[in-house]
Amino acid sequence: MEEYVGELWHKLVTRAADKEHEDAVVRLDEISKTAAIFFRALGGDAGLNLSASPATRHGARRRWMQRLATTGDRVELSWRDGETLRLPEHIGLFSERSLNRDLYLWLVALSAADVDENLPWIIRNQAATQLTLERFAGLVPRYNRLLEATLALRPLPEKLPTAEAAQENSIRQALQNPGSVDVLPYSKTPFHPVALWSHPAPPINANANVTTNNGAPETVSPDKPDAAKSRRKHAAERTDMPDGKDGFLMMFRAESLFSWTEYIKVNRPQDEEDDLESAAQAAEDMDNMTVARDSETSAAKLRFDLDLPPAGEDDAPLGEGVSLPEWDYKKQLLQPDYCRLQEVVAQQTEACELPAQLRRTAKRLRSQFQALAPARTWLKGQQEGEDIDLDAWVRQEADLLSGTHPDNRGVYRAQVNQQRDLACLLLADLSLSTDAYASDNARVIDVIRDSLFLFSEALSATGDRFAMYGFSSLKRSNVRFNHLKTFDERYDTNVRGRIQAIKPGYYTRMGAAIRHASTLLAAQPQRQRLLLLLTDGKPNDLDRYEGRYGIEDTRMALHEARQLGLRPFCVTIDIEANEYLPHLFGAGGFAVIRKPEDLPKELPLLYAQMTR
Amino acid sequence: MENHPFYQAQGSEIELFERAWRNRLPLLIKGPTGCGKTRFVAHMAAKLNLPLYTVACHDDLTAADLVGRHLILDGQTVWSDGPLTRAVREGGICYLDEVVEARKDTTVVLHPLADDRRILPIDRTGEQLVAPASFMLVVSYNPGYQNFLKGMKPSTRQRFISLAFDFPPAKQEEAILVGETGIDEMTAKRLVSIANAFRALRDHDLEEVASTRLLVYAATLIKDGCDPTLACRSALVETLTDDPETAVALREVIDATFGR
Repeated sequence: MEEYVGELWHKLVTRAADKEHEDAVVRLDEISKTAAIFFRALGGDAGLNLSASPATRHGARRRWMQRLATTGDRVELSWRDGETLRLPEHIGLFSERSLNRDLYLWLVALSAADVDENLPWIIRNQAATQLTLERFAGLVPRYNRLLEATLALRPLPEKLPTAEAAQENSIRQALQNPGSVDVLPYSKTPFHPVALWSHPAPPINANANVTTNNGAPETVSPDKPDAAKSRRKHAAERTDMPDGKDGFLMMFRAESLFSWTEYIKVNRPQDEEDDLESAAQAAEDMDNMTVARDSETSAAKLRFDLDLPPAGEDDAPLGEGVSLPEWDYKKQLLQPDYCRLQEVVAQQTEACELPAQLRRTAKRLRSQFQALAPARTWLKGQQEGEDIDLDAWVRQEADLLSGTHPDNRGVYRAQVNQQRDLACLLLADLSLSTDAYASDNARVIDVIRDSLFLFSEALSATGDRFAMYGFSSLKRSNVRFNHLKTFDERYDTNVRGRIQAIKPGYYTRMGAAIRHASTLLAAQPQRQRLLLLLTDGKPNDLDRYEGRYGIEDTRMALHEARQLGLRPFCVTIDIEANEYLPHLFGAGGFAVIRKPEDLPKELPLLYAQMTR
Repeated sequence: MENHPFYQAQGSEIELFERAWRNRLPLLIKGPTGCGKTRFVAHMAAKLNLPLYTVACHDDLTAADLVGRHLILDGQTVWSDGPLTRAVREGGICYLDEVVEARKDTTVVLHPLADDRRILPIDRTGEQLVAPASFMLVVSYNPGYQNFLKGMKPSTRQRFISLAFDFPPAKQEEAILVGETGIDEMTAKRLVSIANAFRALRDHDLEEVASTRLLVYAATLIKDGCDPTLACRSALVETLTDDPETAVALREVIDATFGR
């Protein structure tokens, strides 16, 4: 009973205290694509991700009701680091929806301004504001509207103690006349957060002690965040891995020993891990997730604990393996022989026929695709044919009349089959994430399997040359390239058997797989060569192949493929693909299938559209 | 002079064109859509007082379309010159626009004209034309299209001197808008800043970026009294993208420039 009353009380107070205007809230999800393009158009770095920022404790005064409800002590602000532009997950600061939306766009515009990151916070924000308003004068009326609304929400200086009042006054002045304040007066109580500016002290400091490792920044965000959960990234704060010898650590942290906010060793003992849900909840409530840095990211560690499939015991290696380079965007350097790729083929597969549930669709696709197959065209100037070639006849007559020797070409037109001059290599992502459920009764891997079947059916109807491979990786020394069908093989029961046998592997080192596939495809003599990538997420691997590093390496691999005269195209079922695929494949170079279960049907149709 | 099509030089291309013409060298111009390639050639033809024959190349363009063909008229066959032959006979400029669109074997007829022989053999009539000193061959293409099927044969390409065009620097582009449409400098400046914002999206969100030509269209609408935001939306945003979300973002850029 006590608990029940307590809960009611909590609800009541929270509702009264929460200043957010629920009906005017704008969420990042609604606006992310617009915001990303807006950011790039205003000159922002095209390689940055967009992500929701975690709320951070601002420490400023709260209204008594908020204090009572223990809410309002956290605020979501925006900031930018090496690979991410962070924006609040939702904005409900103002009562008008349009103002909240404008605030988003304003924060984006501000982040795109090129100002020295090392300037003090207050100067940097004023400079960015000035620069933005100067470059995009049309933002001035909007800024003024936002300013007015923001000032109305800020505490009145008259009601604050002297030191705080001085600070508040400078902030107000800096907002109203950007560039006029050089220094922020000191006050013991932190100031009220400034919604129009970027975060004063972004929780991650790129230059802190990250440099001690390989130099690649990593985020804690797992590769596939519990899809529907949230786009929010928790800022990771680096602390040194405690070795247990440092007794002082306890002393300093004594007052918050039991707080979730403090150091958690990510490889927690097993009994705690059972309670994943509450751990996740706790993580949501945290300001900083502190992650120890001992050669692996927490994301990697968490995943490492998952059940891995047996190490492909029935896959036999094919050939020696290939050394492949990898692109390091930080060094702007192609590291030669960095990855080891091994072609493998599944052993002990049983030759099989097309699964029964696919037969009807396959039949329909076959008849559709036969229309694409070798089109009949007219050849002119033939010695014999079905029709008179008037052009040739006129030319011959003219030659005769003009007295020149008539060339002995025929005056008939003939109908022949013309070859489609096309080769396609399909590369399927077989990483562990494909083990997830795509719908109620099918895993992603099942969807991919069906897609491969139907794709093969359709392509064998057109007569186009095609090959199929799968890939997964376990760090750079072990990139597995599953042999499904080579260009020279017929699509037969053995190939079907291999498709039937595909199963989720490890991680997704996309760059290496693309490089090897490019080499295979480039060896084909056809004029049009299509490299089709089928995937369910971003490139990632256990080592630093994550986030921007992986994206940039993949981008480089695709660039190399284009230089070889190949045409890469990506088909994905990752609903967040719009955030990074344009960077990799260009605006017209990919397709997102919203409903994974549609993939098997959509894939052949996409192919038909692309090659028509 | 008054009748010359307006052209704002970006660099030394006018001088280079004149030198090429004087020294009988064929010229290849490459650059993105709507950056002024065609206008430049028209301007130069007018400046040098030469007849200009423009051929917009396409897939089905045959050698006969360039050189000429026999037609049947009143039961007689009559030879009819193609644009290339006519330009050679008259000593004018023959301009092949988007030459990569033509099939590679078609452009082979250009070979004897494009090297030091400067001849055009017409096998149908048995003629062999020698190009007069004033004849000039100019071809252009847009390297931006990711069209791996097409491209110039290296042996064709090697016969030209090349000139790379790009969108002009902001100041010059503003001058072009003012010169072309007569709008005020402030509006020109804003239009160019919008275009440059859009150009940052090349290969990423947009397949093709805002060309100078599109800016001229927008400026023309504005000069005609159209609301600037509306003009930009129809001349730039809707022309460049079909994707609704991208369009929203592009409109935001316009609002950020013209105010709302």
